[in-house]
Amino acid sequence: MTLWQNYLRPKTVAEAVDALVHAPGPALPIAGGTDLLLDLKQGRHAPVHTLIDLTFIPEMTLLELRGDELFIGAAVPVNRIALDPLTGRHAQALAEACNLIAGPQVRNTATLGGNVAHALPAADGTIALTALEAQAEVAGVSGTRRMPFTSLFLGPGKSALDKSAELIVGFYLPKTGKGQASCFKRIMRPQGVALPILNCAVWLEREKDIVKDVHIAVGPGGATPFRATEAENTLHGQSFNSETLTRTLESLLGQAQFRTSARRASADYRRHIVGGLFMNVIETAWKRAE
Amino acid sequence: MSNSSVGQSLPRPDALGKVTGQTRFSGDLSRPGMLHMKILFADRPHARVKHVETGNAQAAPGVMAVFTARDVPVNEYGLQIPDQPVLCGPGSDKPNTDIVRCMADQIAVVVARTESEAEHAVKMIEVDYEDLPVLTDPLQAMKTDAPILHPDRGDSNICVHYKIHKGDMDAGFKSADVIVEGEYHTPVQEHAYLQPEAGLAYLDEEGRITVEAGGQWTNADQSGISHALGMPDDRVRVIYPAIGGAFGGREDLSVQIVLALAVWKLQQPVKIIWSRRESIVGHGKRHPITIRAKWGATRDGRLVAAENELIGDAGAYMYTSNKVLGNAAITSSGPYFIPNFKTDVYGVYTNQLPSAAFRGFGAPQALFMAELQMNKLAEKLGMDPAEFRLNNALQDGLTMNVGTPAPGPVSIIQCIHAARERFQWNKYRRRRTKPHIRRGRGFAAGFKNVGFSFGYQENCWAKVEIHGDGDIERVIVHHAGAEVGQGTHTVMRQVAAQVIDYPAEKIQLHTSDSATQGNPGSASASRMTFMAGNAIKGAAEAALAKWKTEERPAIAEYKYLAPRTTPFDKETGHSTPNFSYAYVAQAVEVEVDIETGQVRVLRVVSADDVGKAINPDLVVAQIEGAIVQAHGYAVVEDYRTENGRVLTDQLSTYLIPTIRDIPEKVDSVLVEVPDPNGPWGARGLGELPFLPLAPAIAAAIHDATGVWIDEIPFTPERVLRALGRIR
Repeated sequence: MTLWQNYLRPKTVAEAVDALVHAPGPALPIAGGTDLLLDLKQGRHAPVHTLIDLTFIPEMTLLELRGDELFIGAAVPVNRIALDPLTGRHAQALAEACNLIAGPQVRNTATLGGNVAHALPAADGTIALTALEAQAEVAGVSGTRRMPFTSLFLGPGKSALDKSAELIVGFYLPKTGKGQASCFKRIMRPQGVALPILNCAVWLEREKDIVKDVHIAVGPGGATPFRATEAENTLHGQSFNSETLTRTLESLLGQAQFRTSARRASADYRRHIVGGLFMNVIETAWKRAE
Repeated sequence: MSNSSVGQSLPRPDALGKVTGQTRFSGDLSRPGMLHMKILFADRPHARVKHVETGNAQAAPGVMAVFTARDVPVNEYGLQIPDQPVLCGPGSDKPNTDIVRCMADQIAVVVARTESEAEHAVKMIEVDYEDLPVLTDPLQAMKTDAPILHPDRGDSNICVHYKIHKGDMDAGFKSADVIVEGEYHTPVQEHAYLQPEAGLAYLDEEGRITVEAGGQWTNADQSGISHALGMPDDRVRVIYPAIGGAFGGREDLSVQIVLALAVWKLQQPVKIIWSRRESIVGHGKRHPITIRAKWGATRDGRLVAAENELIGDAGAYMYTSNKVLGNAAITSSGPYFIPNFKTDVYGVYTNQLPSAAFRGFGAPQALFMAELQMNKLAEKLGMDPAEFRLNNALQDGLTMNVGTPAPGPVSIIQCIHAARERFQWNKYRRRRTKPHIRRGRGFAAGFKNVGFSFGYQENCWAKVEIHGDGDIERVIVHHAGAEVGQGTHTVMRQVAAQVIDYPAEKIQLHTSDSATQGNPGSASASRMTFMAGNAIKGAAEAALAKWKTEERPAIAEYKYLAPRTTPFDKETGHSTPNFSYAYVAQAVEVEVDIETGQVRVLRVVSADDVGKAINPDLVVAQIEGAIVQAHGYAVVEDYRTENGRVLTDQLSTYLIPTIRDIPEKVDSVLVEVPDPNGPWGARGLGELPFLPLAPAIAAAIHDATGVWIDEIPFTPERVLRALGRIR
């Protein structure tokens, strides 16, 4: 039994969407394939008729500045994102997250689009993009449109994309300006290839010792990538000190919904360690914004 | 001697092939006209199979045959007792073979032209089950009102019970100034060898059913297969290709019988390769054991009494539980002299995966308890833990818990000294780095019997040929001992080379073929260097003697018989159970992050008495490998089940150590106190360095944080719970 009948390498986004919509049987886009091929081989995903390889579409493999924004194509390997100076400068949290996904071999081929398309509430790239307030560019039959990043997610493993007719083309991130910085860290067993127990990304803007603006994301803190909006409100416009940070953490703990995963960690453990992780991440981002 | 090779770190003959990918493991083999097999495993832990509908599968494209319980001539197997059906389902003569007792049970096999056709067809088999109550806890299963899993084996699920009793317990505890009581829990461990189970079977040129699949004992595999097929042994041949690790997990059969069955029925070559998931669910695991202990000592640091109860989960079938738990009984005293001693060891059938042989064979579990009891007593007495061990160490002439002295020389004292010195135990200063990082040191010791014994006459066969005329032109060694990665083929050559005074690299080895070789015994129980070494030494000496009397070619066979042993007395355990022991002591330093609960092992010093290091580099490699595996056991690996189902059935959920987890430094100290019966004094090594690591790490965590953790593994959550930081 073959796992697919037809393997296409479109050269443009429009060709890819066309192939997706008009395939004579079940069709799926593929980029790095580090999850999809295993799922197909091990029978967790039914065989498909057509695989549409996105890595030959120039638009989707670009990483460049566009006006006030940084554009990262959905088919850019995460290792390139981790190492590119542009991400280091404008999306440090994302670079740090991409550098921790899986192991080196997987990072060389896995893509950010794939990391996001799985719609997992704690994917490292997803949590960084959440804090960075990214926008996703999505292509369909009627052309492309921009969506706020968090609107891509409906539930664990459930994406808002119409998988039979839509593709993520890439992501737009606001450039990092003066007084702005970000940071991503995670907690997991030392071995680098398993899923994280907990991760956290923070983007903030400071003016002297006042927090002008802040975005906080924690995974897994809910069914979809969790933005700690109540904690953000608590810290917004406040001076950065241990008293406000303690209150911010209390807000975070009040809003986050940690759960127990039978194979990885208990909710209680996650509630305990999130404090140390959050403080570490926000203090690092604060220093970087100086 | 010009070709002296014993004691030299000669390179492994298999190294080049393995690093260049040329070596052929069972999964790499193929034959013209080869068919492919897929196994249908049970999908529930306890049920009666009422009907197996194979019609759709049989009609599926490419399918050559589907076999069920009806097709197996003698539907039973098992290394110690044949208590497991080859295939579970109706239609066998033997009663109760229609009962599935765990998820590792096999229901049917499909043979097809291609692997994917077999995979496709196996999903079309429909099984009608009648569910039965699932027993997951040995403490529940041993109660008198529990449902009986093997009614033909008596009216209890207790399948093993050993008693050791020496001295007067009441008087012993009365004379104690301090008493420590504890309850310990040790976990299941998965072998996680590199190569999942695989095999190729075919008819050889003499029409024999030939199975090429990795194992640990050719003759045992052969007789297990021939028994199930109802054939004489000589109709079945077992050959070992390169084996990708074993650690005890390949002692019991997996794919061999069904492969042989298919070849016999179809008269065509058949191959199978298990996926990692099939491997994890399909083979046995290390015994989880619950241990209660009460030990007493006098104020001046002398052990006076120890009483233990060990309850091991045997899982659904016996496998080697009787042997594993016998070792647990012996080692439950630690390597110490205790005048009054009592141990009760139970093995209990449940609906978990079978518990099986795994490096250490019951000793890691028993020693986790014994060594933590020692550390806690030392703390209560205000004594240094290494000093307290030296006070009580077993010595030549002192009786062990079984009432007889250990075969000498007993070298635990030398090992304790060696570990303490290399670690610089007495000069240790705790370094502080960050406020949430705590460091500490821990000490533990251990010992392990070499060979199976307990009354079984240990034996091992070898043949050596010397060819040439005036000068020796060719030396051939025949030996079936399994090279499971430990380096035994290298050692075999070195032994023959030393006796014959001939270059080791020129010696030809004919290995692991039951049709041409005698019984090697199992590559387990740390026995292969000792047993094969003696056998090949004997054969080489006999061949050389013939060579010197001008016999051409000079060919000699030799069967080494180890010194006699006796089984446990039923009530007291009195016995001479083993002919040789090896001893070990370890000192470790750990770092505990009290915010995340993460334990990092910074340094391990392992002092192992190997008697004589035949190949020192291979000895060090064995020590380092064992430390990594024991570190996984103690800190990383976390096997989870739910009502008899394995939750951690992939290596993405059952995490094993990677280069980023393992101890940062392993310092191996080779102690060499010769065993008078070992070849050049060699003792056994393979299991030894595994034994004390978990209790040594537990002691170091205590030194760092002040809390004792009596349950393995020391996961971050368990550490934080012990510290009172989470519920």
